[in-house]
Amino acid sequence: MTRWAMAADLRRCIGCQTCTAACRQANATPPDVQWRTVLDLETGEFPDVRRSFVPVGCMHCGDPPCENVCPTTATKRRADGMVTIDYDLCIGCGYCAVACPYQARHIVHRARFAWSAEPAPNERARFDARRIAVATKCTFCVDRIDAGTAKGLKPGVDPEATPACVNSCIAGALVFGDRDDPASPVAQLLAETEHFRMHEELGTDPGMYYVFDARSRGEAA
Amino acid sequence: MSRAADQIRPWHQANWDARAAANFIGGGSGSGLLIAGAIAHAAGAPYRALALTALALIAVGLTCVALEIGRPWRALNVFFHPQTSWMTRESLVAVPLFAAGAAALWQDGGAYAWAAAALAAAFLWCQAQILRAAKGIPAWRAPRVVPLILSTGLVEGAGLLAMACALPSSAHALARPVSAALVALLVLRAVVWQMYRARLEAPKRALVALDRAAPLFHRVGNWVAAPLAAIAVLLAPDAVAAPLGAVAGAIAVAAGWQVKFVLVTRAGFNQGFALPHLPVRGSGTPGPSAKPGW
Amino acid sequence: MAAKIRKVPEYCYQCVAGPDLLTVKVQDGVATEVEPNFAAAAIHPGGGKCCVKAYGLVQKTYNPHRLAQPMKRSNPRKGRSQDPGFVPISWDEALDLVAGKLGEVRSKGLLDGSGYPRVAASFGGGGTPTYYMGTFPAFLAAWGPIDFSFGSGQGVKCYHSEHLYGELWHRAFTVSPDTPTTEYVLSFGANTEASGGVAGTWRHAEARVRGLKRVQIEPHLSITGAASAEWIPIKPKTDAAFLFGLIHALLHELPRARLDVPFLRVRTGSPYLVGPSGYYLRDPATRKPLMWDVRRASAVAFDTPGAEPALEGRFTVDAVEVGADGEWAHARVEGATAFTRLVEHMAQYTPEWAERVCDIRPGAVRRIAGEYLDHARVGATTVIDGVELPLRPVAIALGKTVTNGWGGYECCWARTLAACLVGALEVPGGTLGTTVRLNRPATSRQASVKAGPDGFMAYPMNPTDREHWAAQPKVRNAYSTLVPLSANSPWSNALGPTHLAWMFRKESPDNWPLVTAPDVWFVYRTNPAISFWDTPAIGERIAEFPFVVAFAYTVDETNWMADVLLPERTDIESTQLIRIGGSKFIEQFWDHEGFALRQPAVVPRGDTRDFTDIATALAARTGLLEKYNEAINRGAAGVALAGDGFDFRLEPKARHSAEEIWDRVCRAASAELTGGAASDGLDWYRDHGYRTRPISRLAWYLYPELVKQGLRFEMPYQERLARSGSELGRRLHSRGIRWWDTQLSEYQALPAYKDFPGIWESHTVAQGGRLEDFPFWLVTSRSMQYAWGANAGIPLMDEMAGNLQGHRGVVINAARARSLDIEEGDLVEVRSTLRATRGPAILREGIRPDTALILGQFEHWATPYAKDMHAPSMNSVTPMALELTDATGSAADLVRVAVRRV
Repeated sequence: MTRWAMAADLRRCIGCQTCTAACRQANATPPDVQWRTVLDLETGEFPDVRRSFVPVGCMHCGDPPCENVCPTTATKRRADGMVTIDYDLCIGCGYCAVACPYQARHIVHRARFAWSAEPAPNERARFDARRIAVATKCTFCVDRIDAGTAKGLKPGVDPEATPACVNSCIAGALVFGDRDDPASPVAQLLAETEHFRMHEELGTDPGMYYVFDARSRGEAA
Repeated sequence: MSRAADQIRPWHQANWDARAAANFIGGGSGSGLLIAGAIAHAAGAPYRALALTALALIAVGLTCVALEIGRPWRALNVFFHPQTSWMTRESLVAVPLFAAGAAALWQDGGAYAWAAAALAAAFLWCQAQILRAAKGIPAWRAPRVVPLILSTGLVEGAGLLAMACALPSSAHALARPVSAALVALLVLRAVVWQMYRARLEAPKRALVALDRAAPLFHRVGNWVAAPLAAIAVLLAPDAVAAPLGAVAGAIAVAAGWQVKFVLVTRAGFNQGFALPHLPVRGSGTPGPSAKPGW
Repeated sequence: MAAKIRKVPEYCYQCVAGPDLLTVKVQDGVATEVEPNFAAAAIHPGGGKCCVKAYGLVQKTYNPHRLAQPMKRSNPRKGRSQDPGFVPISWDEALDLVAGKLGEVRSKGLLDGSGYPRVAASFGGGGTPTYYMGTFPAFLAAWGPIDFSFGSGQGVKCYHSEHLYGELWHRAFTVSPDTPTTEYVLSFGANTEASGGVAGTWRHAEARVRGLKRVQIEPHLSITGAASAEWIPIKPKTDAAFLFGLIHALLHELPRARLDVPFLRVRTGSPYLVGPSGYYLRDPATRKPLMWDVRRASAVAFDTPGAEPALEGRFTVDAVEVGADGEWAHARVEGATAFTRLVEHMAQYTPEWAERVCDIRPGAVRRIAGEYLDHARVGATTVIDGVELPLRPVAIALGKTVTNGWGGYECCWARTLAACLVGALEVPGGTLGTTVRLNRPATSRQASVKAGPDGFMAYPMNPTDREHWAAQPKVRNAYSTLVPLSANSPWSNALGPTHLAWMFRKESPDNWPLVTAPDVWFVYRTNPAISFWDTPAIGERIAEFPFVVAFAYTVDETNWMADVLLPERTDIESTQLIRIGGSKFIEQFWDHEGFALRQPAVVPRGDTRDFTDIATALAARTGLLEKYNEAINRGAAGVALAGDGFDFRLEPKARHSAEEIWDRVCRAASAELTGGAASDGLDWYRDHGYRTRPISRLAWYLYPELVKQGLRFEMPYQERLARSGSELGRRLHSRGIRWWDTQLSEYQALPAYKDFPGIWESHTVAQGGRLEDFPFWLVTSRSMQYAWGANAGIPLMDEMAGNLQGHRGVVINAARARSLDIEEGDLVEVRSTLRATRGPAILREGIRPDTALILGQFEHWATPYAKDMHAPSMNSVTPMALELTDATGSAADLVRVAVRRV
């Protein structure tokens, strides 16, 4: 059974926001709407300080609270793990946004553009009025995945069938694929490493994994 | 504060504002009043004014949220997901609720008043569950938010009824029993609040917001209103009992509105982000967990 | 209706960490998205990716504030408060204006009364503007002498000391660890994860997963520190002390046999005998430096076959010492080996001393010395392309503010020496140079290795002997007069003490030709009025220039003083082919070499022109067309148009379009790359984007070339430099110039540690400040999102930067801030003895309590979008001062400040 999943290797991530920019551009989201963002988290006290960079966004949960609460069925989870939004059904009630413990959903009520009240040519070319006043979020670039698999390409391996953020990462920190296919980049990375998922205790079964260490050799914990 | 600093600790949800709070306020008070009104009517109080007020409160609340949604012209889509969505269920209950309410108004009570009261209870239950299902907001998803919403809804209904009892009408005679009910419900609400707050796991700033609201809501709204209502029942002379009960009722209602307003618009901090382990960077050991803002 | 979609291959070279390859998605003629050039993953050392800044190219192209046509100044008065009154003019008028001025210059003579070129140019960007200016270099070459002295970052914001000393010691204009192979890196403020580009980021991420340990030694926890295994919060400008302590431990505490003794004996000047005057003891007949042959029990010349030289000891010989302007002959004189001198010299620099100076946790230096030696794997070998080479997987990287200004020499020397002690210089896993710009040819480090005197590599020092010293400065920064190490390549002009040109415009020092304003100043892709020091003063100096020609993208703080604005077609609107591959700055180590194209992805905006066409037009109007075309033919556009079996040269007397020129360049590039087998032109590159061939990885390492030529690394003893400095002093004194004396003190054969922070403290006091009133060290650090390419004015980059802590404010240690009653977000003033800047306080744990940090370069007042950011900047509060300038002519981003809430 296919379960599309992403892994963020925190050992690699340097917080450069290249993925944030790639996502913004690939999905033509308005200014400040970042379906993928990378957090800059400092912990500790001088001089014993750590600083971690954490890519976040929609986790495409196995038990998505957003789908649960959505009154219109606009938000749906596919069997392959993708959590999608039908912009035409959504009424923009915001319930999914308060149901999501990953702060992954964005509702923009008015069109905004980068330079002024008027769209620049690239913004005019990509503007989608369907996405105003409805919920939006990371889609795992589902259109690319679907179009790519239809052509026989492998998501996570072939760039054309891979999410834009994964393609763009200059540290190789983002990996995508079918978690349940042992040969996929995601499955392979998870097999070799120590990882966790965020807010797992909330029972959402998130589809994004965070790698933090190599798998320790020797006795299992 | 920069975006960078803002987004590494829980921040206040920005999707539901005072209009959403108004739905819980109007819906809670209105449901409570429909229930209280049906019981009072059975004891001889006039029905129409109470029911009209109650339905108006619910309607105002629903209208407010309708104004808040992004695509109001698609509002009917809200009915599409009864299988799991408490918002769908709330809307589905609202339809027969208003039908029964209209019939009860027309009949000035009768069987439809009980039907309306039952549907109001269901409506109140849906509202409580709406918050409970909002997994992204720790102060809302706490299981004890359900008894909190339920108890304050009932308190507000009894409080509004107590205020009505101060007006010259056949409800006047019910002032003492209504005040007695108000005392009991206030004690219940107070206990529920203690239990909700004591067990609440939420970001620091959410707890601060609730604790800032607590003196007004809890100390005054519960522990001043209840004694006032008790005095009205036990000690006050007839001429004073009803107005005193009404004052207690007003305080109880205002407190209920305040706590729901605060809950939705001041204590609605989201989950934020947490890392159970900090990464190894080439060599060394993973770092301890981090849950900023909690 | 499906949109017509093209993915247009381009390159990004906005910063020195490039070039990187990308594609621009164009839908129905509109550029909408940037993506990596996925096909390039196989050959690009950064996985075929481009960094966040490249994604801003779409917004850059469609920036509504772009200049849409040439402009002329209508207000003759210049200054920040003087609105230039730019009025639109036609290209003809604009080019006539510029050509007319140039014509005036030519009739007056190309050099002015002070002997300086009348035409000056500043391009900044570490040379990256070259990759966007088409054939303009050919125009400059055709023109004649140009003065590149007016810095826009050189010596001030660059790795200046590393450039010069690096090239001297191991053909290293910049230095990089051999990241794919190394195991242990000590990084003194090298901010690879912010400034190392795609290649740096990619390589280090791979290395981390492999288990690389990098120790980041830096006053604040930068992006790189965050991505390192350990962070040591060192006091600013004390890095040399740490390195000296490390070397002390290697020499005095750890067993000698664990060092790479064979390397030291055979590949360095360690065995050379040093005489009483501090110069090598040389064979009286051959003048060759002597070493003591243990087997023969006598002194022999350094290149004596079969000799077994003593690494340490004192020996009695008959020899001559060749000093400054003269020599001494000795009989029965005792000489010590350079290595012995080194050991004795380092004795005082104990780890305990170092930790006190650096203000770091006790034990760190000794422990790290041990780790360094453990990881060095002295004696190990590896095979690269069939050649067995030493494997030494340890490296030391230095960052900015460590590699420039006082202390830069000491740090670069100590770093290079530390590599030599374990044989880790220019070998797999070790510390490598990336490219050359002072030595020639620039295309090959190995080819630039030529035997010089004394068994070391030759180096084109600017002469300091009486006969040949350039007493008269050739350009306004006087590089050939003041800085022997700056050599005489095309880059040398821009690598002198560039801030001296600005400083001396205001006040000329004693016995020095007046620094005149240039008659014409070209400026492109640089903004010194923002990106230099004492920036308001820079603006004033620029305002004094009589005629400024700015190739402009938007109005900015520098071209505010321009007389003519010429809007060129920007990055993805014009055509250029460049070389890629081999090894280039920062961490660009390729296993391939070749060429990449940038091309018009969209119809150019406004009435802008391809820089190549502008250059051709100027050449034609100034009577230089033939020389210009010939320069292109010779290779001024990056490739010589004729070679072995091919000839695509331009007809010299004709005007050629940009298309035609670049088509020929492409053909020549194809021919060069394929040995004549292919000659594909522009169309081919438009489709493919790039073309490469594999190269041997041996090209990364200089060690094999030294072995092949029987040469040694000029380490540890800087005899040549000491002599050069001594001679320079005499030359300067003979002209009554004493104001460079402090700088002369840097020319030590074995550098001593000086109180480097004290130099900045003294300067603060000399300016009338009390140290206790200026208690903070203000430093800066790189922002990947904002840096280079006018990215400060791109909304998307601003938005991206907003996700990272520290931008657009003043970073202070949280506890220290609170002790000053400063909370997060409070507006604070950062004041030096020069001036103040303001911004919101950003309280962090990852910074020393005595240090404050301002990221990036801001305080814009003219650049659209950026001028509304009101972000603070270090640049306006940092002074330019001779006292703060080292011998190479660089200073550092460092100043003592007060921080208070306002």
